[in-house]
Amino acid sequence: METGVSKHEMGFFSSVLDRLCLTPLGALLLVLLALLPLIPPFNQQYLLRWLTIVALSAASAIAFDLTAGFINIVNFGYAAILGLGAYTSAILAVRTGLSPWIGIFVGALASGLLGFLTGLLTLRLRGIFAAVMAWFIGLALMGLAIKMVWLTRGPLGLRVPRMFDTSSNEPYYYMMIVMLLVVYVICRWVTRSKMGLAFKAIGQNMEAARTSGVNPTYYRIVNFTLSCTIAGWLGGFYAHYMGILTPDLMHTSKTVEVLAVVYIGGRGSLWGGAFLAFPFLIAMELVRSGFSNLPGLHLVIYGVILILVMIYLPGGIASLYYRFLYKPWGKFWEFMVGYKEND
Amino acid sequence: MSLLETIAVTKQFGGLTAVNRVSMHVDEGEIVGLIGPNGAGKTTFLNAIAGLNPPTSGTVRAFGEDTTGLTPEKMCHRGLSRTFQIPRPFPKMTALENVMAAAIFGNRRKPPRDPVAHSREMLEFVEFPESEKTVSENLNTVQLKRLDLARALASSPRLLFLDELAAGLTEGELKDIITIIRKIQENGVTILMVEHIMQLIMNVCDRLVVIQFGSKIAEGPTREVAQDPKVTEAYLGKSQ
Repeated sequence: METGVSKHEMGFFSSVLDRLCLTPLGALLLVLLALLPLIPPFNQQYLLRWLTIVALSAASAIAFDLTAGFINIVNFGYAAILGLGAYTSAILAVRTGLSPWIGIFVGALASGLLGFLTGLLTLRLRGIFAAVMAWFIGLALMGLAIKMVWLTRGPLGLRVPRMFDTSSNEPYYYMMIVMLLVVYVICRWVTRSKMGLAFKAIGQNMEAARTSGVNPTYYRIVNFTLSCTIAGWLGGFYAHYMGILTPDLMHTSKTVEVLAVVYIGGRGSLWGGAFLAFPFLIAMELVRSGFSNLPGLHLVIYGVILILVMIYLPGGIASLYYRFLYKPWGKFWEFMVGYKEND
Repeated sequence: MSLLETIAVTKQFGGLTAVNRVSMHVDEGEIVGLIGPNGAGKTTFLNAIAGLNPPTSGTVRAFGEDTTGLTPEKMCHRGLSRTFQIPRPFPKMTALENVMAAAIFGNRRKPPRDPVAHSREMLEFVEFPESEKTVSENLNTVQLKRLDLARALASSPRLLFLDELAAGLTEGELKDIITIIRKIQENGVTILMVEHIMQLIMNVCDRLVVIQFGSKIAEGPTREVAQDPKVTEAYLGKSQ
């Protein structure tokens, strides 16, 4: 909140970082991401393809955390909502020739609308109802995507026009990094505003929040809708990047993947899951391809790590940062570049 | 005029009647004590008025309008605040953020120009002993009670419910709390308090309402009620 250093005391560098809600370390990592395609082995196309998908997962982890980490509701239909955005944008492009650049925003609106309606129905009740309802809606959406072959071509896969007229992965990668930053900044702006205080209050103690005058239904619906809108937007990118869309994108296991990344990375930190996604999902992909005779092994590993983290490190990787690195790093950066965190 | 009036408020949980046709009133500027043995239904009665657990039947009139069954957030916006018997702050927030939540969202009638300054003022008012940056899950019960009181005051209430604020305090802390309660009253806030500690009740309450087994058994000025044989009987049992 606005309790720290006031704006005019900050230097130019600090105030830019503050607008982007980044610490110097975060900015450094972002620069590293931008340079990654130049560094071997990541200059190979197939690795860049992985990285792009991982960055997409990182961005969806941020929007998932907005709901799971702040208002304490796990959106089990998350992947399906993302898929709805993907299919909306894809079908519009295929049927009406709508430009993907507009389509991904229409997809975002469709997902946001569904999120809003789901929220309107369930978010006056306890959190578990929203979680279960979203899950069912997710299953239903996936069922529709499989059965409505005339529209989606079902499991055969819908061929989708791509965004850029090139076979190279670089433009997609950089666009995804920009989208990752945009998603992060939107979620950060929201959560450090007054609205974010309401989200946290509702997530941490519903009764105290209501007694303090916070209307839980309103803020939960806003939160849920925003998270779903972002998911739909990311889904649209996915469709026009992959060039082919199949219904298993919407499977609950995809939601669980995002959930694992968010929980292990640190619920409620926003950046924890996004940060973790890169090493973790790449490692998991290596496990999957390395042990191809043991399908599903990576899911077992997800489960084991998830349980261990929930028992021994409930704050996730992010809490390790806050416990050990936060203060020394803060001093270091204050000394180096005059940056002071406005907490 | 009464700031708060209940008419035959009843709260049932299944077959159990926790509060049975309780009618009472609190006038503007008063401190009224709501007393009774453990399990008498005092907290349930407060919850029924404040909206956390709306009454099964009966009418609640607060601030001159019918407020029966309004949600806690609406009651808060109308000017009712409360503390909890077991303090319930927002565990991962700092003390200051805890108070700010109420300062920002609870003040519909006259929002403070600077919520941060307003919140700091509240923490100072309750003599909060720790740094405002302390994360509230690290506070002990006594500190949490002060924080909860600061949170309740931050929404600038006209009517304040205190639910066993003084339970578990030492002699010295009790004196502090009495001073703070008096200061709250001087600021024009009306108080309804559930309390067991006689020293506090005798010191600050203008009137008492006594509840036993969910029903009101006595009501009146503090001295009179404290000497009422029915009340001593409720607490100590019948003398042979």
